[in-house]
Amino acid sequence: MTEILGTPKDDFLASVRGALGRSTPSNPSPPYFRLEESLTDLEKMEQDLKERLLIDHDQRINALVESARATAWNVNRFPNLEEATSYIADLLTTLGVQHAVRSNQSIFHQIPIDELLNNLGIESAVIDQNGAGQLSQTQARQKMIDADIGITGSDYCVVETGSVVILPRAGLSRLVSLGPPVHLAIVSPQEIVDTLDDVFLLRRLDYLRNGGDMGSYLNFISGPSRTADIEQTLVVGVHGPKEVHMVILG
Amino acid sequence: MNHSQTNITKVSLFCTCIIDQLYPEVGKSVVNVLRQSGCEVDFPINQTCCGQPLYNSGFTRESKKLALKVLNDFEHSNYVIVPSGSCAAMMRNFYLDLFAKDQRNLTRATAFAGKVYEFSEFLVRVLKIEDIGAKYAGKATYHPSCHLLREIGEREAPKILLDNVDGLDLVSLHQAEYCCGFGGSFSIKYPHISEAMGTDKAENVMATGADSLISCDMGCLMQIDGLLSRAESTVRIRHISQILDREIHSAGS
Amino acid sequence: MPEVKTQAFRNSSETALKNTQLQQALKRAGTGFDGARRQAIDSVGAVNWDLWRDEARKIKIHALENLDYYLDLLEQKVTENGGEVHFAKDSEEANLIVSQIAKSRNVQIATKSKSMVSEELDLNKVLEKSGVEVYETDLGEYIIQLAEETPSHLVAPALHKTKEEVALLLHEKLQVPILDDIEDMARVARDVLRDKFFNADMGISGANFLIAETGSLVIITNEGNGRLCTSAPRIHIGITGMEKVIPSLQDLGLFLRLLPRSATGQHLTSYVSIVNGPKRETDEDGPSEFHLVLVDNGRSRMLADPELREALYCIRCGACLNICPVYQKVGGHSYGWVYPGPIGAIVSPELVGLKRASDLPFASSLCGACKDACPIKINIPRMLLHQRHKLSESTDVSERNIGLTGRLAAKFTGHILQHPKQLSITRSIIRLIQLPLSNKGTLKKTSLPILSRWTKNRDMKVIAPKSFRSIWQTELYKDKD
Repeated sequence: MTEILGTPKDDFLASVRGALGRSTPSNPSPPYFRLEESLTDLEKMEQDLKERLLIDHDQRINALVESARATAWNVNRFPNLEEATSYIADLLTTLGVQHAVRSNQSIFHQIPIDELLNNLGIESAVIDQNGAGQLSQTQARQKMIDADIGITGSDYCVVETGSVVILPRAGLSRLVSLGPPVHLAIVSPQEIVDTLDDVFLLRRLDYLRNGGDMGSYLNFISGPSRTADIEQTLVVGVHGPKEVHMVILG
Repeated sequence: MNHSQTNITKVSLFCTCIIDQLYPEVGKSVVNVLRQSGCEVDFPINQTCCGQPLYNSGFTRESKKLALKVLNDFEHSNYVIVPSGSCAAMMRNFYLDLFAKDQRNLTRATAFAGKVYEFSEFLVRVLKIEDIGAKYAGKATYHPSCHLLREIGEREAPKILLDNVDGLDLVSLHQAEYCCGFGGSFSIKYPHISEAMGTDKAENVMATGADSLISCDMGCLMQIDGLLSRAESTVRIRHISQILDREIHSAGS
Repeated sequence: MPEVKTQAFRNSSETALKNTQLQQALKRAGTGFDGARRQAIDSVGAVNWDLWRDEARKIKIHALENLDYYLDLLEQKVTENGGEVHFAKDSEEANLIVSQIAKSRNVQIATKSKSMVSEELDLNKVLEKSGVEVYETDLGEYIIQLAEETPSHLVAPALHKTKEEVALLLHEKLQVPILDDIEDMARVARDVLRDKFFNADMGISGANFLIAETGSLVIITNEGNGRLCTSAPRIHIGITGMEKVIPSLQDLGLFLRLLPRSATGQHLTSYVSIVNGPKRETDEDGPSEFHLVLVDNGRSRMLADPELREALYCIRCGACLNICPVYQKVGGHSYGWVYPGPIGAIVSPELVGLKRASDLPFASSLCGACKDACPIKINIPRMLLHQRHKLSESTDVSERNIGLTGRLAAKFTGHILQHPKQLSITRSIIRLIQLPLSNKGTLKKTSLPILSRWTKNRDMKVIAPKSFRSIWQTELYKDKD
């Protein structure tokens, strides 16, 4: 749609400019340093980041466990895939899961999730339009509404805030981690970064590398859904998941 | 006056309207303490008001006239000692806003601001006195006035001075940094809110079990005293100078 | 525009003070939120916290100083992302934009996550009039919507309601039994709204931040409603004040550290959602249309006044409300319009008219606690003084509120105070009047003008027999040494 609703942009900006005491457009002087950073600059920072992440990796994972628990993730780390898989199976049984939905991410090439779900007799669906046996959009949505659990990987995992970051895209629905009352996120060590700033650096890099696109959406998930709107009393699990589980492989 | 002393600091006193009219005994203690601390005190006799009440009501034209009068009356001063965080803040911070568009007087006001000190701030930060040798037998609590706290930025000086008073049992006040509700004209324009805030403060004061309430601003003390007194509390209000004044306590108050 | 009740401040605040249940709720929220904020700052460390505040303020100063540039950049980037940007100079235009989009897209159901700006516009009423069912989805906002009230706090809109009131409200409006447990009440709202989330045609959100560099809209929420409003429907409209833009995505981390801690003491909210336009072709889900509506509605006037510009740096955390001793007594509704508390006392008058809201800048003791609490170091007391100055002395009669009597009184007071001899005479007169009523230097209740209101509930000090200056002249001028 290209009809103009509201005030034309140039008029609006002219009015703002007028309020600032200027009559002609001008760039900030000096320019804002962040907007002057080139791809090379960011790549250099990425290099520093990568080097930093190699140091004290085990302590980093411990720090993540702590910060994620502080924000009410149920967190467990496992030194190998077998133990992780076994834990997940126990978890699903304890939770009494009957219907599951999952994303289609590379983590599931490591964790044999479909086999696991099958063995437990849990009905499951992969939310991936391009995957085999795909559901229609409506069917997929209904699955996510009705499921007992949504299982995803993670794109980044932030130590500073105990957050899992999800970048919705093909094979990774926005609703898989939001519709069901329980969310299980499986984290690989190489996804772990230290700070919010690290995440934003990496997103800006992707933005520039992809010609000015970093995907449609980004979610930081730092614990279950919460509210304290009635008498400032905490209630968990309002519109989003009531329980969130993090399984760290490593 | 012992002129052979080389460490005499010459200071001018700005006594404030409230002390001048309602609590002159506080002014007396301020002068005593300054003299006990080695100061020579002068009092420009024509001084009146710093202009804050008019300024806070938005009357900058009238307030400016009073500010100019202060600049004139204290032209000769090395230090201007103000026993009120609120008046001191007016002179140090808000005169600069008042004269922002008046370059010549802005220069004067900026120079003047550098000479203005609240009373307890002056003792500790300029004279470097922390223990004045005062005695006070009793239990007291301290209310930090808002402008002293947030405009002057002096949180510690009063406490340092009080901690060194021999015999003083200083107990902490719950929600000490909450405003007492005076706010000058606010207390008359919105008395219902002012009273509600003041009542909380008075209740917190009474809950400490102290026999005295100490502060650096008589405006606050007047407000809180109004409520304490109406509640028939025996808690007395004291300006910090009255606790530090050796003349009062050596006379056996 | 929602009904303006700023003129009723005096009556509303008097009523609020007598409402014991409101007083309890305010105390709970005030000390709770503010206590949590202080704890969060302690864990960060006061020095670090202060550095963060300084940096955030610098960024806001720069962003607003160059607002035209950043809005232009934002528009370009949002458009490149596949979104559409609409500029609304006032509330009429903003409402028209949203209703036209809704109409042309056959929108029947809209879900809404928190947007203070939409309250300014009274957007819900406008949409409902054009046949759209609108559901507030933030639990507090949903409660307010059911109660047909306005929010009383920036972050906790229903803080003035007891759980019993909420239970009764749900019972009356949704025909559920009267519940006792807060969790059960939340579950009722969840069940009702869940259905709406997934059936909505349009989701409306506000924005905590807009990022010029990448054309992004950022919302921070705890409940999950923000995510659902911006992910489930086929259209997403983000509507916000134009001042929310910051230059770079790299700036966002700093603000995410400051905002949740200042608001509720949390390190971070459960969710931070960054919207970069509509869904991409290969996405599994998401809105196929993204509209960003940028609203002026009086903000350019604040931008133009160098004394008031910093009111636009506000990140709507509510810290100033939680620490304000006046807000804690009178509550949000007393302020009579969309924005309550210290920041509201500046913004509401600027947006509805200073004269109409002339109580708000004066209903403050200027204690400065708000300035201390503000993560962006906004000097609220200074702006209140500026507004008082306009109300008392502006040459623009649409702003000046003081009548001839007031001006004369100020002149008279100023005159007396410039002349010490006249001051002495005045003092003697007042003392003479007070003396007969004085009880050991104290005035109890009196019906004398001005003094009567003070002495209604407070004792008053009588003017001392001798002024300090006369004691100085007779005794003190000479040092006893």
